[in-house]
Amino acid sequence: MTSEQRRAVWMPDDAEPTRSETVAQRRLTGPLAGRVDDDSRADQIAAACGDVWLELDVALSPIIGTRGVTALGQRSLHLASAVHPWLAERQPSGPTLFDAALLVSALAQRSRDEAAAAADTFVQTLRELLTSLIGSALTQRLLGAAWAPPAPPLNRPSAQDPKP
Amino acid sequence: MTHHVTIQRLLTGIPGLDEVLGGGVPEFSFNLIAGRPGCGKTTLAHQIMFALATPERPALYFTVLGEPPLKMLRYQQQFDFFDGEALNRRVRFVSLSEEAMGGDLERVLKRIVDEVANHAPALVFVDSFRSVILAGEGGQDHNGLQHFVQQLGMLMTTWQATTFLLGEYFDDNDANPLFTVADGLIWLRQIVQRNSMVRKMEVLKMRGQPTLPGLHTYRISTAGIKVFAPASAVVPLQAGVSRGTSGEPAGRALMGVAGLDEMLCGGLPRGYSLLVAGPSGSGKTILAASFLAEGARVGETGVIAAFEQRPNRERNRVLADLISSGRVTLVNSQAPDLSIDEVVFLLVAEIRRHKASRVVIDSLSGFELALAPTFRDDFRESLLSMVTALSNAGVSVLMTSELEDRYTDLRFSPYGTAFLTDAIIVQRYIEVESRLRRVTAVIKVRASAHSHDLREYTIDTAGMHVGQKLPEQEGLLGGRPTRKVHAQVADGGNSNAHPLWP
Repeated sequence: MTSEQRRAVWMPDDAEPTRSETVAQRRLTGPLAGRVDDDSRADQIAAACGDVWLELDVALSPIIGTRGVTALGQRSLHLASAVHPWLAERQPSGPTLFDAALLVSALAQRSRDEAAAAADTFVQTLRELLTSLIGSALTQRLLGAAWAPPAPPLNRPSAQDPKP
Repeated sequence: MTHHVTIQRLLTGIPGLDEVLGGGVPEFSFNLIAGRPGCGKTTLAHQIMFALATPERPALYFTVLGEPPLKMLRYQQQFDFFDGEALNRRVRFVSLSEEAMGGDLERVLKRIVDEVANHAPALVFVDSFRSVILAGEGGQDHNGLQHFVQQLGMLMTTWQATTFLLGEYFDDNDANPLFTVADGLIWLRQIVQRNSMVRKMEVLKMRGQPTLPGLHTYRISTAGIKVFAPASAVVPLQAGVSRGTSGEPAGRALMGVAGLDEMLCGGLPRGYSLLVAGPSGSGKTILAASFLAEGARVGETGVIAAFEQRPNRERNRVLADLISSGRVTLVNSQAPDLSIDEVVFLLVAEIRRHKASRVVIDSLSGFELALAPTFRDDFRESLLSMVTALSNAGVSVLMTSELEDRYTDLRFSPYGTAFLTDAIIVQRYIEVESRLRRVTAVIKVRASAHSHDLREYTIDTAGMHVGQKLPEQEGLLGGRPTRKVHAQVADGGNSNAHPLWP
């Protein structure tokens, strides 16, 4: 979780402009890039997001277990829903519950721009979460080059407290 | 004609571990790494895995219910040995959490076998095996567990996999069937005494291997685990390294103080250990610096383990210059809770790296204080092993020792360690006309002639200068010498009956 994301959760009034305000004007990047284009419909974007999740599940479940993967999905959805509250509306409640099919379904029922913005937020959050936990090198090693950090500002190391 | 099987030893390359194990890990062995939480089991397992795993000898690392795999990957990356590029190439992590949560050991075993069959690893790690057992306690009886363990051990061996099970065991007297089945049993311990914590490794069992018995200290740093094997294993005896075949000295190392070299009949015999004992401020460190400087002058390199003064320019310019010029290496002994084995390890590493021929330990008093409390009880024995190891390494060693001037007896060391060294030089203060003056003597030089004089010496900015003995005085060792009677007569009896100097 970046400091910007944490700030958005704790101080929503001070939050920066949402991704939905900007993503519609640009192409999707990262793991979603190449799977959708400017003409893609919401259901196609949703399907692409589902594919990204499935690939991550296949790559990581043997290593961290299905519960570990589910926890990643749940956390990412929680963070992404701070920007797009409708994303989590139909998700089951529970300590380690995340249903990717419901996420895909929710995306498919929105407008193209809304689906693109929310899918982008979810996948970017997932990438940032994983990168913050195991580092960008290991994330790319396990999931592929598409999971590389997009730009230096997002790839900077976590702020360190001063040493005593 | 019989053909015995040759068991290949896998050398981990982890400093000290292969020595402690008696030559590495036997191939296809079934090993247990046990210890309390936080003692470094997972770190040791990862270090072994990354060291041994190759594309031809891949490794499978099963995680069960202990540390979540994501956190394990996160923290293990902090170690230098962690190679992210190896993942899914020569190293593969497999989570068994789903199978273990069900508590069905047969299911756990089946998954392990499936993965082993699928990936054909040469190395298998199960972390932590304790979790498997705990998960199975609900529905399994003791026989079921033993059956499971034996099955796993047999399967891993027949699948030609060298296996390591990690477990949180609190009591090594536990009659766990696993301990019987295992070929190797490595126990990691953390010993806390007062405010110090020392990690120690014990190889309780390693079938068919001459393991080094006892507890061996180890340290965990960003480089990983470093085991400090006993000094005797670090530097095995090499006959004739430092002395002639008949025991006589082979060459001399000058001390850099002309008068003292004269008293030693040509310097310290090479390969000898020398104890320089004296009170605070008597010039022990200055003599040590002179010893190293003389070595540097003739092209020799030296190593100093300084436990008291920081060898900075203000305190000892000669030493600071030698260190900054690279002719003398300073062994960093600032780490807390040192063990003698660790100091020997550091010294020997530097001796070998720089091909050093002179070593200084300044001082034994500071050294003892730097040791963890748990080692202080055995200080004398450990000192013997250190002196022996350094002697085996073929270097000439000078050790200083703080000695309180008592003036009632002649002591050489507060530890009763004088017999350990080959040579002893003592420095004393004496009082003359309300001034402190210094005298020195060579007490012993094993198998070599030496002066028995007690000579005065002075110290100035150029170092130590040994003068002449004081033939007109007696009672020097009592600290308050008096002039001899015949000297008073020669003076015409001008002095009192037993006057103070002169």
